[in-house]
Amino acid sequence: MSQSQDSARMHKTIGDRIYQAGVIIFLVVAMSLMIIPFWNVVAVAFSSAIGSMSSGIILWPRDFTVNGFEIIWKNLGLERAFMNSVIVTFFGTIAHVLLACLAGYVLIQKDLPGKRLLVGFILATMAIPGELIIIPLFVVYKSLGLLDSLFALILSGMVSGFSILLMRNFFSGVPFDLAESARIDGASDFRIFASIYMPLAKAGIATIALFEMVGRWNMFLPVILYINDSSKYTLQVVLRSLVTENQGNSGTSMITPNVQMAGILIAVLPLLLLYPIMQRYFVKGISLGAVKE
Amino acid sequence: MQITGNMRRYAWLYVMILPVLAYLALFVYYPLVQGVISSFQETKLLGGTTWVGTQNYETAINTKQFWQVVRNTVLIGGGIIVLGFFPPIMVALALNELVSLAFKKMAQTTVYIPHLFSWVVIAGMWMYILAPNGGIVNETIKALGGEPISFFTSIPWSRFLMIALPIWRDMGYYAIIYLAAITSINPSLYEAARVDGASRFQQTWQITLPLLKPTMLVVFMLNTLGMLRIFDQIFIMRNPVTKRYVDVLMTYVYDLGILQGKIGLASAISVMVLGATLIMTAIVWTVTGFGKED
Repeated sequence: MSQSQDSARMHKTIGDRIYQAGVIIFLVVAMSLMIIPFWNVVAVAFSSAIGSMSSGIILWPRDFTVNGFEIIWKNLGLERAFMNSVIVTFFGTIAHVLLACLAGYVLIQKDLPGKRLLVGFILATMAIPGELIIIPLFVVYKSLGLLDSLFALILSGMVSGFSILLMRNFFSGVPFDLAESARIDGASDFRIFASIYMPLAKAGIATIALFEMVGRWNMFLPVILYINDSSKYTLQVVLRSLVTENQGNSGTSMITPNVQMAGILIAVLPLLLLYPIMQRYFVKGISLGAVKE
Repeated sequence: MQITGNMRRYAWLYVMILPVLAYLALFVYYPLVQGVISSFQETKLLGGTTWVGTQNYETAINTKQFWQVVRNTVLIGGGIIVLGFFPPIMVALALNELVSLAFKKMAQTTVYIPHLFSWVVIAGMWMYILAPNGGIVNETIKALGGEPISFFTSIPWSRFLMIALPIWRDMGYYAIIYLAAITSINPSLYEAARVDGASRFQQTWQITLPLLKPTMLVVFMLNTLGMLRIFDQIFIMRNPVTKRYVDVLMTYVYDLGILQGKIGLASAISVMVLGATLIMTAIVWTVTGFGKED
């Protein structure tokens, strides 16, 4: 595109200039729709309780303080919920990625008997949205005694057809000769998988790991489904009761806005830190579920 | 020797994929079958089940609330599809026109970021921004001499928000999908148009937009399928006042099955939604050619 942009810059007509200006104005408006709400959250989060409750729009912290963060983290128990989320995200992502890699590797073996059946068995699950089986799934988790455990949340969504498909596509880009010569040297499949395929598919692994991390960090339905014991609640569920309840009717809440907004900032901070890394794997990850590669 | 060697190798490969197969059997296929079975059963209070034929299905389609929920789902889901169709295309086209790479990157990042936020975060943020007291929007309305609006307890407004907030959240995400498609358009097409004296706007209108049709179709299909899965945003942002008007199929199933313990009825509704999803998925896969590579 840069080439055509260069030549466009060289001979610009008045119409093109107006068009360019319109484009920039449009984007600035779109960006402010994202930036203003977020900036408002930041300004309130760093205000004092009284400052955050005073009337008028707050676009700069009033009586700058980190008091809101301290209250939600210590007094309101966000710390524990945060740790639960970290545990679920960390172990859940590792298990998810590992299983997707193993399955993806098996599915690129050309001569494996019954491979078509395996592919069908895995791909068909992609047509079944998890939300639609929550009732029987709840019964399964209950009868396995998994309710009220973080393990239930790690287990939830541990296998995904999309991730397996993506890893299979990545692995099929690895030259087959590499595996063949290792096999002649007597290497086992597991060894070939671990020492040849895994290192060469780093980009694929990073892609599913990053998107899985975001998904797990934001996980909501499985938590309210499987967890009743409040000491096992994750960040999202605890935050929900702090920021949304009581607010619907009266517009006021027992918890002051600076505390609520501090909670929101804590919940998005890990994602914002992850973003610069994610950006590198963007298009591939985004087209993961969207477009046939 | 060769055969036994292969056999051993295959055995190992099967061991490698076994956890995935076991997981899918236990946590996808078994619940799926169980859900269909439950839809023809009634669970008794003291445990145990009895077969009730199609009674659950009949109960569902004879309940007023079921149809209200279907209507809400179509209204909210359809609203997202229709009103959310053009904004990401416009953002993608605008991003593509930018000459400054730094600004392009910044704009792309800014519009994409909300897609990373959970519904709890988005709800918390917007409930504050739209609060009757102290929220940016209502403070502005008051400053202009208007009456503040209770957005989340007003029925039309809360329905509107259930449509507008997902669009706000996903605009940048879909814009990037479109942008990727735009970038892959052959530059020589624009070259030829420029030789013919086409302006930037004409190039966009006559080359870019027509070539985006396949991507538009994919996004449209994804949104259509997504309609039946809407849950988090409703569950988090509904309240006793608006519940009846914003509840969608999945929140209804959750309330019936998990909160009220009506497993049979909830399963029957799930099976109907599943049927609709499968039909729509079949259409999507046929139209987009997805999953054909095997």
